[in-house]
Amino acid sequence: MANNSKIMTIIRHEYLTKVKSKGFIISTILGPLIILAFLGISVASSVLTQNSTEKKIAVLDRTNLKLDQKIILRDKDRFELPTSKSEDELQEQVLNEKIDGYLIIPDDFLQSAKVTVYTRGGGGIGFITLMEKHLNNIIRKERLIQNGTDTSVINMIDVSVDIGTKKITAKGTEKDYTEAYAGIGYILGFFIYIMMMLYGSLVMRSVIEEKANRIIEVIASSARPFEIMMGKVIGIGLVGMTQVTFWLVVGGILLASAGPIIMIFMPKPEVLAGGMQMAQVPQLPIDIPRIPISLILGFIFYFIAGYFIYSTLFAAVGSAVDQESDAAQLQTPVMLPIILPMMFMPAIMANPDGPLAVILSLIPFFTPILMIVRVAATNVPLWQIALSVVLLIGTFFGALWATSKIYRVGILMYGKKPKLSDLIKWIKLAK
Amino acid sequence: MKIIQVQNVVKRFGDYAASNNISFDVDQGSIFGLIGPNGAGKTTMIRMINNILFPDEGKIFLFGEPQQLSHQNQMGYLPEERGLYKKIKVLEQIIYFGQLKGLSRSEAQTNARFWLKNLDASDWENKKIEELSKGMQQKVQFITTILHNPKLLILDEPFSGFDPINADLLKSIILDLKSKGTTIILSTHIMEQAEQLCDDICLVNKGKKVLDGSIRDIKSGYGRDTILLEFEGDDSFISDIGDLKIINKTQNRVEFRYDSTKISLNDIMLKVMNKVQIDKLEVSAPSLHEIFIDVVSKQEVTSGK
Repeated sequence: MANNSKIMTIIRHEYLTKVKSKGFIISTILGPLIILAFLGISVASSVLTQNSTEKKIAVLDRTNLKLDQKIILRDKDRFELPTSKSEDELQEQVLNEKIDGYLIIPDDFLQSAKVTVYTRGGGGIGFITLMEKHLNNIIRKERLIQNGTDTSVINMIDVSVDIGTKKITAKGTEKDYTEAYAGIGYILGFFIYIMMMLYGSLVMRSVIEEKANRIIEVIASSARPFEIMMGKVIGIGLVGMTQVTFWLVVGGILLASAGPIIMIFMPKPEVLAGGMQMAQVPQLPIDIPRIPISLILGFIFYFIAGYFIYSTLFAAVGSAVDQESDAAQLQTPVMLPIILPMMFMPAIMANPDGPLAVILSLIPFFTPILMIVRVAATNVPLWQIALSVVLLIGTFFGALWATSKIYRVGILMYGKKPKLSDLIKWIKLAK
Repeated sequence: MKIIQVQNVVKRFGDYAASNNISFDVDQGSIFGLIGPNGAGKTTMIRMINNILFPDEGKIFLFGEPQQLSHQNQMGYLPEERGLYKKIKVLEQIIYFGQLKGLSRSEAQTNARFWLKNLDASDWENKKIEELSKGMQQKVQFITTILHNPKLLILDEPFSGFDPINADLLKSIILDLKSKGTTIILSTHIMEQAEQLCDDICLVNKGKKVLDGSIRDIKSGYGRDTILLEFEGDDSFISDIGDLKIINKTQNRVEFRYDSTKISLNDIMLKVMNKVQIDKLEVSAPSLHEIFIDVVSKQEVTSGK
């Protein structure tokens, strides 16, 4: 019998027993719901933080030009009329947190162009910029009015520019979905994160099961340890692919059938656009950006590469311990580089071309999660993609070399709870 | 033909040599006992023969060829620590282990059904291992070991965990396989089992070979110096006989060895007959257990320990 039939036997066994298990069926159904809940929480938390930066500012107008009304008109959520004309009382209100601050417009505002905002402190640069924008606009208009400029002229110059972004490609210009793509990148990166964690630890638990139940010795007398480990890693990887494929197919069907359903309940697009555009053909109200094939290929590659690197590391940890409860300490150094990129994610999404993003996404242990975000959000230079692929493949073979040695020694070691330094000794021990 | 040739094999774990320059041969169709106390290095030797561990020095030949991975398919291994997948059904489990030994799925299934029937276990086919009793699990494990009709069967403490009835069943299967030409290695620390089943043995202690050869030769080398006596009357006569080594003494029963250079069997009999009524008398070679202790203690004296 050829040796590759043994690894096929192991792959088949690992795949079928996992796919038929209750755990797999439940996680396939509940998985998307859990992921949606996670995303919901992170979206909710970002919305909540945004709200908390909104300040309620009372406007004390000492001119007789009703500037307070004009400011409030511009942003009703932020500005309000003061309940008192006394500065002392307003200070009291700030300290009691009834309002976040107050703005005093002095009677010589039109000449001096100076105002003062009183708050409990700070407020951030974003807050100051916003205030400046509003007040600049008001003072310009007022000065024009004071100088007798015609209202129609004022209205003419009172426009705000709406910046639309377009992407230049070889085929011409097209609509740019920068934000949507960054969002897609986040989802894909998050997805790879979840899958590496879940399936990596599944590999680890499966290795521990065979060791704890003393099955491994019989298997080791039938196949090479390398075949046993790789059979497991590949078999469980295929389980992951099955799950993802299932989700994609079901998701695709849902999305395709959901489009028309959403349209029925949504207002017509021409109403949304304020009657400016009279669309002849009804369109989906949600504008879905096209997902380029390169992104899909990138996702598949980074997903598989990430899974293989981390699952072999998890397998090594599993081989070293006698039972699951002993694994906690040893798996920390494996889990840390999976968790870290998630913390850098917002920074990478904000500036996917910056030096931080480039450097971090080229560190092989971070690449699977961070590079897919960048590929989605921006145009990553080809050399960086190529370098990341080379580094990932190199890292995979390095991890395989080390972990297969640890595995070979580890599966027969019982008793003493090993430390990280022991695992490194085992690499040298196994010839 | 020699099925196994172990030549000067050394295996170290750190500073400790679990196998310290051990050599022995195993004949085809024999039952070979690898015998010694716990921690003697039996399992290490067995793992090396099974291609799980590799010797630091020395060579192992299997089936007349230098050891190689492809030999694994011709060997069956029952490790001392038994283990099966708890959540997988009996038949599926046996088939998987059979496939790992190179059987096709259908061959494995046919053989599995044959042995399940043979061991009165057909009803368990679709039960998960965790639903079975310890003894039933042992049977299933034994089937996985012999499913692929191995030429060489390696059994590490095979009788542990079996009740007396199943132990007898196992014994008869082992003897049956032997009669069909299977070579069997039996590792055990229970000397009586080895004495009953083995043709040849290798005694090991602390990683070193103490003694090897056929049981018959080893025993005849020691002579028939062991006496088992059952009697009626006061047992104080025993201490009057002279310089004896008492192996076992209970009420009305004593087993001892004598030194034939100091006292003859006839003299012993004379001293006994005058004192008590003899119910049973048996003169035999010492047990393997006695021989083992003898050899080990002599070696430790000569090596100055």
